[in-house]
Amino acid sequence: MTGLFKSIAAAAGFAAMVASPVLASAADLPSNIRLVIGSKSTGGDTYQNSAIVAEALAKKLDINVKVDAVGSSEAFKALQRDSRGTTIMIFHDQSYLGNLYGVRGYDDIFDNYVVGPTVAINPGNAYLVAKNSPMQSMEDVIAAAAAGQRVRVAIQAGGVSEIGFSALKNAVKVTHPGAEENIVPVNTGSQADKNQLMFDGQADVINGSVQANEQFTQLDADDQKAMRFIWLTAREETIEQANPEGMGDTTRDELLAFTTPNVSVTLDGSKDFTFDKEFFFLFNKDMDAEQIAAIDTALKEIYAAGDIQKTQKASFFIPNYKPQAEAATYLKAKRDEYRHVIDAIATN
Amino acid sequence: MELLSILTPMFFTLVTAGTVIGIIFGAIPGMTATMAVAVCLPLTYSLGLENGLALLLGLYVGGISGGLVPAILLNIPGTPSSITTTLDGYPMTQNGEGERALKIGITSSLIGGLFSLAALYLFAPALADFAIKFSYIEKFLIIFFALTVMAALSSSLLVGIFSGFLGIFISLIGAYDISRGGNGELRLVPESLEYYLESGFSLLPVLIGLFGLATILIEAEQGMKEGQSLSGVKIGGKPFKLSIFKGQFVNLFRSSAIGTFVGILPGVGGSAASILAYSQEKNFSKTPEKFGKGEPAGVIASESANNGLTGGALVPLLSLGIPGDSTTAILIGAFTLQGIQVGPLFIGNNPVTWDAMIIAMLVANIVMFLVMVFAIRHLAKVVTVPKNILFPIILMMCVVGAYTINYGVMFDVWTLLIFGLFGYLAHKIGLEIAPFIIGFILGPSAEIYFVKSLESFGTFSIFFTKSWIAGLLWVLIAISIAFSISVARKKNKTENE
Amino acid sequence: MSFDSPFHVTIDFDTSHMIFPTIIAIILGILFTAILITRGRTMLATITNGPWWPAGIDHMRFFGTLVLTVIYFTAMPSVGDFFPNTGLGFYLCSIPYLFALSTLFLHERTRRTLLIAGANALIAPTIVWYILSELFNISLP
Repeated sequence: MTGLFKSIAAAAGFAAMVASPVLASAADLPSNIRLVIGSKSTGGDTYQNSAIVAEALAKKLDINVKVDAVGSSEAFKALQRDSRGTTIMIFHDQSYLGNLYGVRGYDDIFDNYVVGPTVAINPGNAYLVAKNSPMQSMEDVIAAAAAGQRVRVAIQAGGVSEIGFSALKNAVKVTHPGAEENIVPVNTGSQADKNQLMFDGQADVINGSVQANEQFTQLDADDQKAMRFIWLTAREETIEQANPEGMGDTTRDELLAFTTPNVSVTLDGSKDFTFDKEFFFLFNKDMDAEQIAAIDTALKEIYAAGDIQKTQKASFFIPNYKPQAEAATYLKAKRDEYRHVIDAIATN
Repeated sequence: MELLSILTPMFFTLVTAGTVIGIIFGAIPGMTATMAVAVCLPLTYSLGLENGLALLLGLYVGGISGGLVPAILLNIPGTPSSITTTLDGYPMTQNGEGERALKIGITSSLIGGLFSLAALYLFAPALADFAIKFSYIEKFLIIFFALTVMAALSSSLLVGIFSGFLGIFISLIGAYDISRGGNGELRLVPESLEYYLESGFSLLPVLIGLFGLATILIEAEQGMKEGQSLSGVKIGGKPFKLSIFKGQFVNLFRSSAIGTFVGILPGVGGSAASILAYSQEKNFSKTPEKFGKGEPAGVIASESANNGLTGGALVPLLSLGIPGDSTTAILIGAFTLQGIQVGPLFIGNNPVTWDAMIIAMLVANIVMFLVMVFAIRHLAKVVTVPKNILFPIILMMCVVGAYTINYGVMFDVWTLLIFGLFGYLAHKIGLEIAPFIIGFILGPSAEIYFVKSLESFGTFSIFFTKSWIAGLLWVLIAISIAFSISVARKKNKTENE
Repeated sequence: MSFDSPFHVTIDFDTSHMIFPTIIAIILGILFTAILITRGRTMLATITNGPWWPAGIDHMRFFGTLVLTVIYFTAMPSVGDFFPNTGLGFYLCSIPYLFALSTLFLHERTRRTLLIAGANALIAPTIVWYILSELFNISLP
């Protein structure tokens, strides 16, 4: 019955609460912030990373921050409705890649929101082949396509999962013009579906992640489920920051064998393409700049203290705080680079 | 010895607490096992892996089981997987056998849970290897098989099937979901509603609208008559005896197996389990005409199947790193929060955690059974609460459930109202709700697997030639359809005589 | 979707969102026609002979429930907007809604029954709001 008594007590103290102002003071942050994320899953990387950041922010600013996994379209809607700083958002590169790929519901975030600061990278974006595949490396894949063989790549259309595919197609176009049409997408959904397409022999290469697929790479080659990494899209210096143990039975050094420059997917013939999935804040365009600055400063102090980095690294995230203005410029440049890749393969 | 150091009083307390909270979540219309697990996930960080899992697995088992209470007593499925429990459970309540129905449901849940747990413990890797033989094609056929249930659940074959297809049609409203492999384009959405209908209608608000709000509207229309409590419900009635399960051995085994198996297949969806089990029981029954009027075998089939799901859904999670249903999708978060990878090596690399999980599930099933059996006398009294008190509370809980299912989307609350009205009108013009909701649940999966099969193989003949499994599924589909037609014929005959 | 031969099809990913809805719409059309053929006469008879509005329904309770629910749903987010992210929109609107609905459903509005309805309208939302919003930190309107 204690629960009941507590709620009666809460009801009694409730009048006081209603009377208390929502804002402690005008330039201050609201005492209850809703952090919406662009993912519907509470088991995924966006939620996990946002929860870490939200907890640190709440502690630092002594406010409530509640993470709600409403998914991208609802998150953008909620953010657009609320300029008081009571709703903020965390999402990753999908937010502008969706726009680049022309997916319905994705506006230009740089026009419509305040972008940044960044908080972390998930370095795990990977491409895999079956362990017994004749193609053992990215070189083999590109050579096969150049030789006129159709290479089917399982991806989820319109974003983070497709960008590596687009880069691969672009690299083939740069090195073997005309052969890029041999790189064909197999559009599918979840990781389960991508894996299944490989097990069924319906895809030669699949998009996956270090976190979700590492154990499959440890299986014996005669197992139908056995896979092999051929490419991690992350930058070399990103993986270098990971804990030396890496993930599962694959050490950091072993992971580095799959990034540039050891695996080369060229951007323009001289530079390699890389893609880091970065998590960053998005704010309503009309939100008080002082409020944004307050969050930015708090994050700066949190990262300076150094505890959050340990938590992030333990979960295979690479800490990556960039102040708001710097993050916005950086992400815009990143977007423009990918736009170039996508445009290049679109105008065959 | 390491295992013993994990099995502390704390561990058992957490399983028990999880199970009890899960039952409460499951028993409240609108709240689901998925929500219970999602809400408690952040708590597990400080608990450590095994203790955290103990809590979550308790919530999972409790949440799935609790759904039978409102399904049987109020005709409102507490969770989507207890839809078929309402079909015979609520008529039993109306016949004054609510308590008996609850006991039958709880016992069946226990058996289904234990069956699937044994399957999980003994055969997980082998089952996972079997599950990956199911490509788009076989999964489509499984869904198709489940859809044939529409016919078995209809009182009029033609109208029932029409209602079912209408359910499928309405489930397709909105974007062709990119995250499931679609292209993200909208269809069947009027331009003025694009803002709201981008992701279509969510299942849970539709479900509680059709079953909860519609029921209350119908009662309101009739003026909330018949005293102040639910229509003629008496507590007591025929006593529950274990002998009810005599002759139900095949049913229990088959339904538990169906539940476990559907759980193992990622992407088929948990609700398909109880739907399939229910229809198979009806098809094989000597007295199919009794179903839908309070046949205990229907409750047994539905409940043993939906608890069979619990162990089944953990198979792909723990041996492929892939969740078997929406609740286990959140369980993955518990592992990643603790830095534990789930995948084909999980069981081998973490034998202690694995054993601890099995023990947690075992304890959760037993606690679920004991708690619910003891609580039944009190639970069943909910039907004696005056309607003017009970119904507003149910409505409020439906609103909470609708709003929270997608973590705070107001349109989901309006969906509740839209489908409450739809359910009311459907009742008036004679559309059938059970096939409608089954179509609505299975529609999106049917679409993805159908279109993707053709996309990959480019031929219709692949549905027949893919594998021996596909062939077997066609045989099952044919049998299911034949049964439904013959039952409908028989019924027509008796009605005409 | 284009047919190369009776069994072979090529699916264009960009338009693949219309394939399944089209198939289902065609089946629905066929089923509807079949229903019209087999039962059209009885249906027509019901429409032409039957009363346009069903007799003997409790208009006050039926429409009262609907109207109250619409007001409740509309008010919740608006009130909640004054107290962002606290769930108070839900709490403050549920109390009058529950009380109004309980009273509407009552047949004998005595002091006692009204008192019970009032107490319920206060206690139930309080418990729900406290447990979900405060203890479990779930977002409510």
